[in-house]
Amino acid sequence: MNALRSLFSFPTKAVAAVLATPLALGLLSAGATAQDVAKRWGPTDPASTFGEDFQYLFWLITTLVSVSFAIVCVLLLIPVLRDRAKPGKKAHYDHGSSLHDKRFTAVVSLIVFVVLDAWVLVVAMKDLREGYWNIPAPDDEKTYKVEVLAQQWAWNFRATGADGEFGTADDILSTNTLVVPKDRPVSLNLTSKDVIHAFFLPDMRVKRDANPGAVNIAWFQPVVDGEFDILCAELCGYAHYQMHGKLQVLEKGVFDEWEQEASRLAVAAHDAEDTEAHWAWEWQE
Amino acid sequence: MNTLTLVLAGAALSTGLAFPSDPASDEDGHGSAALPPTPTHVRAPHDVVLEVTEDTWLKAPGEDWFEAQAEAQPGRFEYVEELVEIDGDYEAGWRDNEGEFEYRYDPEEDELAYWQFVSAEQLTRGRRDYVQFCASCHGFDGAGYGRSAQHLRPPPRNFTKPAFKFSKVASSQLPSDEALVRLVKRGLDGTPMLPWALSDEQLGDIVQYVKSLSPPGRGWRDIYAEVGQIVESGDDPWAGRKAEALERGEEVYHGTARCHSCHPGYVTPARFTEITGGEVREDFTYPLAKATDKYDVDGHPVLLLPPDFTWHDIRSGTTPLDLFETIASGIGGTAMPQWKGSLPDEDIWAMAHYVHDLIENYKDKPVERSRFMSGLRRGN
Amino acid sequence: MSGDHIHPEPTSFLKKHVFSVDHKVIAKQFLWFGLIWLLVGGVMAMMIRWQLANPGSPVPVIGGLLFPRTGGVIDPASYNMLFTMHGTIMIFLGLTPVLIGAFGNWCIPLMIGARDMIFPLLNMLSFWTVALGGAVGFYSLFVPLGATEAGWTGYPTLSTTVGTQGDGETLWAVAVFLIGASSIMGGINYITTIIRLRAPGMKWSDMPLTVWGLFFTAVLNVLFLPVIGSAMLLLIMDRVFGTSFYVPASIMSGASGGDPILYQHLFWIFGHPEVYILILPAWGIVADLLSFFARKPAFGYKVTVGAMFAVTVLSAVVYGHHMFTTGMYAMLGESFMLLTMIISVPGEILFFNWLHTIWRGSLRLTTSMLFALGVIFVFGLGGLTGLYLATISTDIFLHDTYFVVGHFHLTMAASALFGAFGATYFFFPKMFGRMMSEKLGKLHFWLTIVPLTVVFCTMFISGYGGMPRRYYDHTSADYLVPLQHLNTITTHSAFLLGAAQLIFAWNFIRSRWWGPKASDNPWEVGTLDWQMPTPVPHYNFKEIPVVKTGPHEFSHPKLGDRDWIPQTEELPA
Repeated sequence: MNALRSLFSFPTKAVAAVLATPLALGLLSAGATAQDVAKRWGPTDPASTFGEDFQYLFWLITTLVSVSFAIVCVLLLIPVLRDRAKPGKKAHYDHGSSLHDKRFTAVVSLIVFVVLDAWVLVVAMKDLREGYWNIPAPDDEKTYKVEVLAQQWAWNFRATGADGEFGTADDILSTNTLVVPKDRPVSLNLTSKDVIHAFFLPDMRVKRDANPGAVNIAWFQPVVDGEFDILCAELCGYAHYQMHGKLQVLEKGVFDEWEQEASRLAVAAHDAEDTEAHWAWEWQE
Repeated sequence: MNTLTLVLAGAALSTGLAFPSDPASDEDGHGSAALPPTPTHVRAPHDVVLEVTEDTWLKAPGEDWFEAQAEAQPGRFEYVEELVEIDGDYEAGWRDNEGEFEYRYDPEEDELAYWQFVSAEQLTRGRRDYVQFCASCHGFDGAGYGRSAQHLRPPPRNFTKPAFKFSKVASSQLPSDEALVRLVKRGLDGTPMLPWALSDEQLGDIVQYVKSLSPPGRGWRDIYAEVGQIVESGDDPWAGRKAEALERGEEVYHGTARCHSCHPGYVTPARFTEITGGEVREDFTYPLAKATDKYDVDGHPVLLLPPDFTWHDIRSGTTPLDLFETIASGIGGTAMPQWKGSLPDEDIWAMAHYVHDLIENYKDKPVERSRFMSGLRRGN
Repeated sequence: MSGDHIHPEPTSFLKKHVFSVDHKVIAKQFLWFGLIWLLVGGVMAMMIRWQLANPGSPVPVIGGLLFPRTGGVIDPASYNMLFTMHGTIMIFLGLTPVLIGAFGNWCIPLMIGARDMIFPLLNMLSFWTVALGGAVGFYSLFVPLGATEAGWTGYPTLSTTVGTQGDGETLWAVAVFLIGASSIMGGINYITTIIRLRAPGMKWSDMPLTVWGLFFTAVLNVLFLPVIGSAMLLLIMDRVFGTSFYVPASIMSGASGGDPILYQHLFWIFGHPEVYILILPAWGIVADLLSFFARKPAFGYKVTVGAMFAVTVLSAVVYGHHMFTTGMYAMLGESFMLLTMIISVPGEILFFNWLHTIWRGSLRLTTSMLFALGVIFVFGLGGLTGLYLATISTDIFLHDTYFVVGHFHLTMAASALFGAFGATYFFFPKMFGRMMSEKLGKLHFWLTIVPLTVVFCTMFISGYGGMPRRYYDHTSADYLVPLQHLNTITTHSAFLLGAAQLIFAWNFIRSRWWGPKASDNPWEVGTLDWQMPTPVPHYNFKEIPVVKTGPHEFSHPKLGDRDWIPQTEELPA
């Protein structure tokens, strides 16, 4: 331990200079970001049927994880504060290899597995079966079907329009704006023209990749009307961060009227001869 | 369920690619008689060229521009009586002390023209930025058939046939650098053309590169071409008099300018009769005149509907100033004419306010729009 | 076997310091190499953080130099390049060489009582292969269009010519391939050395846990680096020769096509074990350090080894949790969810054994010990938050958000780095014959762990808020604007974190040449490496030692005044 004590002098100035750098950078950036915007410390309120399940499970896990981490911290702090080396003091000699210790390990493992894993697993499986994987029947009148064709860097949407068929003149086409009805399941078929994108509706707690060459399936059911953001959540190139759109959720009556009008305008804009403009695929489920 | 590489209506994506070959472009009178190559939206080749080896000259703005610049940047542009020697005679012209513009004489044309010198280095920088940011839609050769462009209507601009739609210069003219840079910076609403957050230097390089894609004798390689500036808006004459502007705008829109012959009308039949002084029109149901005539988009006849301002995205911006510039300059290649000159600026501004008001109040507001439109139909 | 013969020490500079086959020299080469790359990767991280807190404003000081065309502003392409290269550099060129290359090379022969690695030439080749890989990666920064921008995961079709042009991505794939080849060479060497060259009397259960950690890492390296190597080869074929392993027919001009998801499977079959490749050596080192500085035997040695083994096995069968949003078959996803969660059991066993080790010990809070305790803290945070991501129904929302970024930085970056720091402070006296400053070391520790916790915990909040990762500018979408203040907090803490590393750099360099001379065994531990003179002589052991005791026999009641015993001595009966 002698060697430890013979330390060279403490370079106060150098350390001060080092610490001053980030503070200076911080001041520079504080000026650049002074904004008067509402701050948020979490997601927006959930706007789909998945929302409550997600919030519940998230906070269940948060509770379990926090308790576990607190236990670790306490068990870490006690010896650090209590068992510091003192002259003449010897550590407790224990290899922890007795049967008793092994039993202890087994019991703790079991508790961890049941409380941390099995509990979460059971809740998650229930959520998945009732939620994300409970894909609405495509034949159901209530299901609103949308084909999503992603590209660098935009979302192209196609809804069936009034006739309920894809690939017809009254298909409602739009870029970056998707209008859907409230309280009806919205079923999505996703694919991409070029690279992998991910269709992310933070308010709806939905995310699904749009892979080129294959159709991916997702669904959600909005329970709040209003305007929400669509984001891309898979790196898709230089303008990945700009690839967002708007989701508009409309009340039933309003939506039906909107759909009629949108179909009518779609028919007007449809050009049967311009085959290059046409895209649609058979609905995948 | 679906990691399967699905047939994807195999046809839908992979065979819908071929355009009908298009005889129209033969009659254009330019280029050879060969049909344009069938556009294919293919994956990028692995040997994309990233180098431009030759310097070039591109058509520069004319005298007016130099005069304006000489005022704006004193010391840079200088009018010199004896700029170049041609057959023993000295010709006058503008000299650029920073060397971006050159004076060139084309004896065959027997006319003086300003050409902008663009170095191979600058084009190379532009080419590289272009490949990174633009090529996915506009294609590696600039012809507008990038991989991500498939099914897009209207298709992305073909830079090898230099004609521009939303650059806000008179539709017969080529857009100036400023106009192009501004367009790229702003993007086009409702299309995958994003507002690009690139530096002015990058945008400058990209614009020079895009200009250099003009084929010989056309666009920026055409000695007769005119490079136009963004249309002048002047001050808003209606500032502080919004209600009057809206009323005047409504009158011009449905009266003098007859915008409702392509776009929808937004007044009741009674009001329409009042505006036009006796004309009768019962229904403005959109589109009034179904656009049976297609527009030639890069040699392909394409149906493009004039927008309903209460419904569609307006590509070129929705502020009154944006709308003024669009209406004033027209949209090249479409039926939207250049209104500057045929209408007083004041009226164009009034229409801009009127259209802006329509967008503000009804676009993306289905309830309000529906009430408004059915009100028109019912006549109140 | 090479370990049996003592060759004379080479005398030429080139043979002695550059193309040396001596594991100690190679260890130091790896260490310097890795530390320099950590610095490069760290500077990139600082630039990324600057951009996120101040979107579109010029980077101070170095901006004008690095991004002259934009007046010092990072443009979207450069931003993508920065985070891609930051990830690649930190993982492949920073942490791997330091943890596995440097400490693997240093510890294995010395701790098991061997004169060198079993294949010294392969060892040298391993370093020079990774050096070549680093050079290729560095060169790619200067080719037209710059280095790759497809993310360190390099998902096709973005990483094929469909998404990225130029040679950057190709060179990246070549670099990763070379680095992978280097790791395979190292892995084969480590495994064989540990199996064949243990000193007489050293049973498997007499090996320090550091060696166990490195052993499991080597196994994973040998098993899974070939997978990423083949994934890279296919990618190179797609890019250079126009094949279509990863490009689907729908974007091919011809009829046949491949599948981009194939790459994701290949990548994560490697990618998930890679997390454990980095963390297992750190776990081993931490387990040893805790015992050494608590002056107490490692609690449940065999159970710890068993848990590390279990993690090694499980790491191979959980990779699917990276792909929950890809469109995986529901049942398959659920299986991966279950398997992933099971990792918490061996993980928990390790934690309790570590905590048990320091319980009722006699703790010497040296800098190494602080970093070892720090690993318990940061890995606790990182490991537990993995539960959110293992659970499909929460992962769907959190996938590809900053939650993931926070999680994997705490586990594979912070924990591995803390392990590396702990090891550096610990092995420095034996490696360089001088002591590092403890005062600066402790300052470094506290100035690292506090901002680090703030940085990555703020990322958890951002991610829970729904902030996607790899965004150039989070103020671009309305949904994200109210989260921007979190970016500011993260960035400011990150700057402090970055600056604190300069203290380490200063301490390291100053101590290397001007630090106080170290005694042979300053930490008073019993493992073989500390029983030899400093500097360690060429060929380590003049006579191969005979091992008679375990590595962690501290505070044995019959030891008397001294609370430790060399592994070469027998415990008093």
